[in-house]
Amino acid sequence: MAQIMENPRGGCVLAGINSVLGAIDRVCPIYHSGPGCCMQTTASDQGQSGHKSSCFVSSVSIPSSNMLEKEVVFGGVNKLRTTIEGALEIMDADAFFVLTGCTAGIIGDDVTSVTEEFQKQGHEVYPIETPGFVGDSILGYECIWSTFINKVIRTDVPKDDKLVNIFGIIPYHDPFWSGTLEEIDRILSSLGLKVNTFFTKHQSIEDIKNCSAAALNIIINPWIFDGPAKKFEEKFGTPSLRFPGLFTGATDTTEFVRAVAQALDLNSEKVEKVIAYEEDYVYGYLEQAIGALSWKRFAVIGDANAATAYTRYLANDYSFTPVLVIINEPVTKEQDRERITKRIRDLEFAKPPKVLFLTDQYDINEAIRNEEEEITLLIGSTNDREIALEQDIQFLGGTFPINDRLFFNRTYTGYRGSLTFTEDLYDNL
Amino acid sequence: MGVNLDNSNVATRENRIGSITGYIGSLKDLAEQSECGTLKGCSRCFSQSSTCLSSCALGQLCGIRDVALIHHGPAGCSVAAAGSYYMSKVMPKKRGVTSSTVYVGTDMNENDTIFGSTETLRSVILEVNKRYSPKAIFVSSSCATGIIGEDIDSIVDEVRDEVGVPIVAVHCEGFKSRIWATGFDISDHAVLQSIVQPPREGVKTNKINFKNFFESARPEIIEIFKRFDLEPVFLYCNSTVEELSHLSESLATTCICGTLGNYLGNTLEEKYGVPYVRSINQCGIKGFEAWLREIGKVTGRSEKVEEYIAEQRAIYMPQIEEIKKELTGLTAVIGMGPGYTFEVSRVLDELGIKVVWALAWHYDKKYENGDVPPSMKYLLENNIDFEASVADQQNYEVMNILHKYKPDMYLSRHPGSTVWAIKNGTPAVYVADEYMIFGYKNTLEFAKTVLDAIRNRSFEENLAARTKLPYTDWWYKQNVDAFLEEAK
Repeated sequence: MAQIMENPRGGCVLAGINSVLGAIDRVCPIYHSGPGCCMQTTASDQGQSGHKSSCFVSSVSIPSSNMLEKEVVFGGVNKLRTTIEGALEIMDADAFFVLTGCTAGIIGDDVTSVTEEFQKQGHEVYPIETPGFVGDSILGYECIWSTFINKVIRTDVPKDDKLVNIFGIIPYHDPFWSGTLEEIDRILSSLGLKVNTFFTKHQSIEDIKNCSAAALNIIINPWIFDGPAKKFEEKFGTPSLRFPGLFTGATDTTEFVRAVAQALDLNSEKVEKVIAYEEDYVYGYLEQAIGALSWKRFAVIGDANAATAYTRYLANDYSFTPVLVIINEPVTKEQDRERITKRIRDLEFAKPPKVLFLTDQYDINEAIRNEEEEITLLIGSTNDREIALEQDIQFLGGTFPINDRLFFNRTYTGYRGSLTFTEDLYDNL
Repeated sequence: MGVNLDNSNVATRENRIGSITGYIGSLKDLAEQSECGTLKGCSRCFSQSSTCLSSCALGQLCGIRDVALIHHGPAGCSVAAAGSYYMSKVMPKKRGVTSSTVYVGTDMNENDTIFGSTETLRSVILEVNKRYSPKAIFVSSSCATGIIGEDIDSIVDEVRDEVGVPIVAVHCEGFKSRIWATGFDISDHAVLQSIVQPPREGVKTNKINFKNFFESARPEIIEIFKRFDLEPVFLYCNSTVEELSHLSESLATTCICGTLGNYLGNTLEEKYGVPYVRSINQCGIKGFEAWLREIGKVTGRSEKVEEYIAEQRAIYMPQIEEIKKELTGLTAVIGMGPGYTFEVSRVLDELGIKVVWALAWHYDKKYENGDVPPSMKYLLENNIDFEASVADQQNYEVMNILHKYKPDMYLSRHPGSTVWAIKNGTPAVYVADEYMIFGYKNTLEFAKTVLDAIRNRSFEENLAARTKLPYTDWWYKQNVDAFLEEAK
């Protein structure tokens, strides 16, 4: 339902789809939409995510049918057809995906029939019929994976008991996505696993096609991706392990490693050796800067994944006091809210923080202003810097959207990411 | 031109002033065809992403201090909020003022596209008014609200008395025009319709309306204008609603970019008799001097203007002549909005740089008053010609041109465009700030920037050697106009 949303975060369904396609090597989106949708959706995720744009095609290089009034009135399938024809000639890509804008969606252009014409000629052109207005970037992420599951991933790939697929981290919608996936890949590889991050290492449409070989789907997120995971298991027989949130620091990362090891029945001696090595690495550094940061009473404003990771690390591993956590994603289902809240409040050491679900910046600012307990550190998005300044609270930009920092492979996730996170807290003192 | 301020809709540039986005040929041909009225734009059977006019329209409006923008559409359309946040927090701070401008989306969803949501819009408007107490409210539509026929105008009319501040519907359906600059006209129209008042009786002023983007040269221009006893009023970035309400009282209107300013300038002239300064723009020496002289003429200050020009010439011309020696003979391709393409090509000519191809993101055959844009007239009269095309930021055409002509530099005012030139190994100058080539001092600085860019090509060359562009070899062998077709 229409509502007031000050500072909306992210974009529509198309933004999430575009983010995923942009992160896969040599894959080309084709917009069947108005002339501005591509720039708008690029701006909403890639434009607010640490200034990184997808490398193969992005923004002005993405084919688009640029529908105008004529197409709105008479239908846009002819324009779409010539746009695909041109794209096949001009763009040196391995696969093409047609995205449906609000305009094409409302007037009911039959995108699937047009793509079928090209498929018959042997071209890899896939339709995605979910129009922009149906939801946000997060839904877009699920939607493109549903398309992969329904139309792209092969059923006849032999299983590989060492292969795992990583889900739940949305490229560009999470500003740290590439560094985060690289850290997860590094940790799991040291256990002897092969990792499909899909968006790093120049992974391509071939890796998507063959990902049904995986022994396990690992969903690193407390609430998204239920639908696609279920479909994946039904169609390809790969079970899922949901880890209820991103992890920063030794405690949660070790919990993650043990969870994966258990699900795959890995040799526990080897697993414990890896854990011991990694924990020693982290604490070997932490003990060299004791007292560099003074104790803080903190609040986090962010998506469920990041908020979980930061809150639990600071509370469980770094002796800071959690006060308030605001989840700014549109989590509507009660069971999702409960799962997220439980993970954030179920702390080994500290008193559990208050957890609120607010998407409107006005409400978020009011919650910080009206908090009775003192807050001395705030981790949030660029949009939250203002309230931190106003309330004279130390601030670190660590959640989407971030447009005042540049990120390549920086991450706050995992063993090594916790060190970077702690360094950045110091830099912001 | 016959502006109708009673209706919240403004006709597109295509329909109003015959603007086009598809043409390939030469500058001379383009100008001659527009003069004799035979110019017909082409369309493309293949295109790459363009830009939404709503970004231009709402991007302008959110620069106004202490107003509220309500974008009625799916959340994805409200992405301009990110830019708006910057405009209302950072830009005022730079100038030492404050703004509490807010940009909200209505987060329209599938149900709303079926059942409509005008009633919710009404409550959103009232809530926004209560929450933020804005000094004016702009209510924008989107493609989705446009197609399902949400009657934003009626809602706005109905709540007008209750909100008690200027409120206006802003029609931003993205499919309306392939020329995003139509968005500038839409924002002007909204301001003219809801905020600008007729001149107050007996008010005398030395103010001059100065339409620009981000007022980065504000202190410099205030200083210059002081000498002529003129006070610039910069629009819309950091404007107040009060300032805007008196635009009709100013001595004249001028702008940094003809595309940006021509709707406001012409309308103020037509409705309220405020003269609109029509000259080539302030880029480069010839442009700057022509512009100053025109202001002198319109406001009766020619003598003071001549004094200033003589003084500045003595300081800067020797330095510019010196650096020109190093620039002479270099080649350039440029891709910008028409308000800059044909101005910057003049400056490059002044600096001795040869333009081998100029792309304009669109082309206005005639401005609102029926004249061919002054920048074109100048190039024609001075016998400057080069290959030219009109393309709504079509990146594949730009890359084809860069690949074929291998110029020493590519200049663009759009960051997304320079990215691809750099990946191609072409040194690129992102002419981001609208004042980058303004007047004597900045023209000199610009010349130095160009020299820096072409002298050290380490990043461009190293990157290009290691990166693969997404275009096929086949495409590079085709003519640039391979996908153009006669407009139907």
